[in-house]
Amino acid sequence: MSGAIEQPRFTCALGACQSVVAIKKGVPILHSGPGCGVQVSRIIGQGEGYAGGSTMPCTNAEESDVVFGGEKKLRDVVENSFKVIDGDLYVVITGCTAAITGDDVAAVVGEFQEDDKPVVYVEEGGFKSNNYVSHSRVVKAIIDQYVDKFNEDREVIPGLVNVFANIPYQDPYWNGNLEQIKRVLTGIGLKVNILFGNESEGVSEWKSIPQAEFNIFAGAWAGLDIVKHLKRKYGTPYLHFPYTPIGAKETTKFLRAVAEFGNLDQEKVEAYIDREEKKFYAHIDKMASFMLEFRYGIPRRFYTLADASNALGFSKFFLNELGIIPGIQFIVDDIPEKYQESVLEEFSKISDLQTRDVRVVFDPDAGLDQKKLLEDAKDYQDKRLLILGSSWDKHIADELHADLLIISVPVQHRLVMNCGYAGYEGGLRAIEDIYDRVLATYR
Amino acid sequence: MRQIAIYGKGGIGKSTTTQNLTAGLAELGKKIMVVGCDPKADSTRLLLNGLAQRTVLDTLREEGEVDDLKLIEKEGFGGIRCVESGGPEPGVGCAGRGIITSIGMLEDLGAYTDDLDYVFYDVLGDVVCGGFAMPIREGKAKEIYIVASGEMMALYAANNICKGIQKYALKGGVRLGGIICNSRNVDREKELLRHFAEELGSQLIYFVPRDNEVQRAEIKKKTVIDHDPNHPQAQEYRNLAQAIENNTQFVIPKPMTQERLEEILFEFGLMDNIKDNYHI
Repeated sequence: MSGAIEQPRFTCALGACQSVVAIKKGVPILHSGPGCGVQVSRIIGQGEGYAGGSTMPCTNAEESDVVFGGEKKLRDVVENSFKVIDGDLYVVITGCTAAITGDDVAAVVGEFQEDDKPVVYVEEGGFKSNNYVSHSRVVKAIIDQYVDKFNEDREVIPGLVNVFANIPYQDPYWNGNLEQIKRVLTGIGLKVNILFGNESEGVSEWKSIPQAEFNIFAGAWAGLDIVKHLKRKYGTPYLHFPYTPIGAKETTKFLRAVAEFGNLDQEKVEAYIDREEKKFYAHIDKMASFMLEFRYGIPRRFYTLADASNALGFSKFFLNELGIIPGIQFIVDDIPEKYQESVLEEFSKISDLQTRDVRVVFDPDAGLDQKKLLEDAKDYQDKRLLILGSSWDKHIADELHADLLIISVPVQHRLVMNCGYAGYEGGLRAIEDIYDRVLATYR
Repeated sequence: MRQIAIYGKGGIGKSTTTQNLTAGLAELGKKIMVVGCDPKADSTRLLLNGLAQRTVLDTLREEGEVDDLKLIEKEGFGGIRCVESGGPEPGVGCAGRGIITSIGMLEDLGAYTDDLDYVFYDVLGDVVCGGFAMPIREGKAKEIYIVASGEMMALYAANNICKGIQKYALKGGVRLGGIICNSRNVDREKELLRHFAEELGSQLIYFVPRDNEVQRAEIKKKTVIDHDPNHPQAQEYRNLAQAIENNTQFVIPKPMTQERLEEILFEFGLMDNIKDNYHI
């Protein structure tokens, strides 16, 4: 893709350093210019995690490193990172400068690998791709250069699954979402390597990646190549569930797909689903009279500016569980053309009850998307609107007197800790947050 | 101040020609600066009677910054001011960026003084990236001379360099001043080079005959004029200097297609000779 775009809702390839920050005691080491890491974490990521933000070791490559090569400096920074940061896994990520100069990062990191240090490298000249794509390269590098060392005799552990879903930090609710996904999968009897965030056991979990019985990829496209890679490498079969499951209906669908794929004990699975659904709908039951009386108070129509996985997940949930009608869905993750068709297909079967035409726009230029949104919203001036977007959409939400639920980066108007919208509990959280936005506008 | 860049195939004799030529210009009383733009830093060896002690980039590497021109500028034969850009070790870093950095530094340090009549840039082999085109960017060298010989690869390289010049000529003021032949004693070399230069829309500005005196002087770390001022080869370089001094023909070159270049080579019998030799 060429040409300038406004408001990209992702970062350059270097953004994959956030995936390392999301691994417990994972330490990214940047071989890049000063400021690259901070820039990345300002767009994607609140807080510094264990070794993120300004804690990230960085070579701060300057002019003399360009002219003479930065290998010596990189060696020093890696060596000293071992001394001052107690990490379980170190990932050297190169930025534009070193990538153009052609520093032999493989050789530098190779020296430490020979000493059995837990370190891998990924060449991520920022220009190589966006972080949706580079996330996969980082994960694959960890598997190929580190995890693989521990798996000469691969023994499959029955019921063990690796889950690749919401991309850490790129999805602001990644931690909560992954927690929810792990919770429900554990509920149906699986042992889950969730790999990132609080619910993961960290690097020890990564080491057992090759032993999984099967892999689950929940998302539209970004990360699909990880499970394909694992299939080629270890022969692990994978299930592709094409979006983030949000709320009771979608989570049940997700669990049934997993159960079928993994040939799980159906009775046990259905018993869990039943329990969770009862719990979910009990909360809605409790609020039934309020929700009925308030039905004209909540938004009638929603626009989305998000990545494909979340846009699909939220659309299905809002339409089928809350009856809010999907307006234009702006997919801003620069999704490659070859995946667009399947996203459109998912949108086309958004409702089980009737065919519904959802207008989908694939355009990473969120500035243009906003323009189209404002244009379209003119026809619905009498309706209360909801925008699912980022902090950069606040001004158009204000202009339209629409409610804004921030589900995409950058997030500047909200603190995110363990909030996640995936799963049964995540669905309830989404309902709370929508009503919260609406009620907050009342006197 | 005339700023001149010398280009040509690697090993063709750019540095030797530049230094002998500038020695000739110095004899004419001109004030000259020679900027070596080759990481090997051997562009001023003959003028300084030995390799420059320190290159611009060495100084940058060791001191972090360069704040004194005296550290990097050495006076050589005939008062010629010699600077070597230098560069990284082979196989690491970015030599092209090194040239950009060091020329930028020379500007900052005020190396381009008004009293200079000539600044010569001796640039390595081919224009492989933006850095090696730095001397011919806006505000720098306006004249280019290409050193070539009658050997095929030298002409291929010269034609290729003309493509680079054409690109910069169209947006800036850089022009080709001519082709300097550094003879390799190839058959009908002078005619071939003259024809080649004219086809480019330029001229063969001077034909420097081959003479072992150049080699002898080089071993002694001297230009021919410095080593043996009365040798006929010294006069050849004086003539070259005079030709450059008097040159008024500056053109945007018209690089040829590969086919046309091969036609010219064929026309001048090179191919026939190869065939004849084969029969012998």
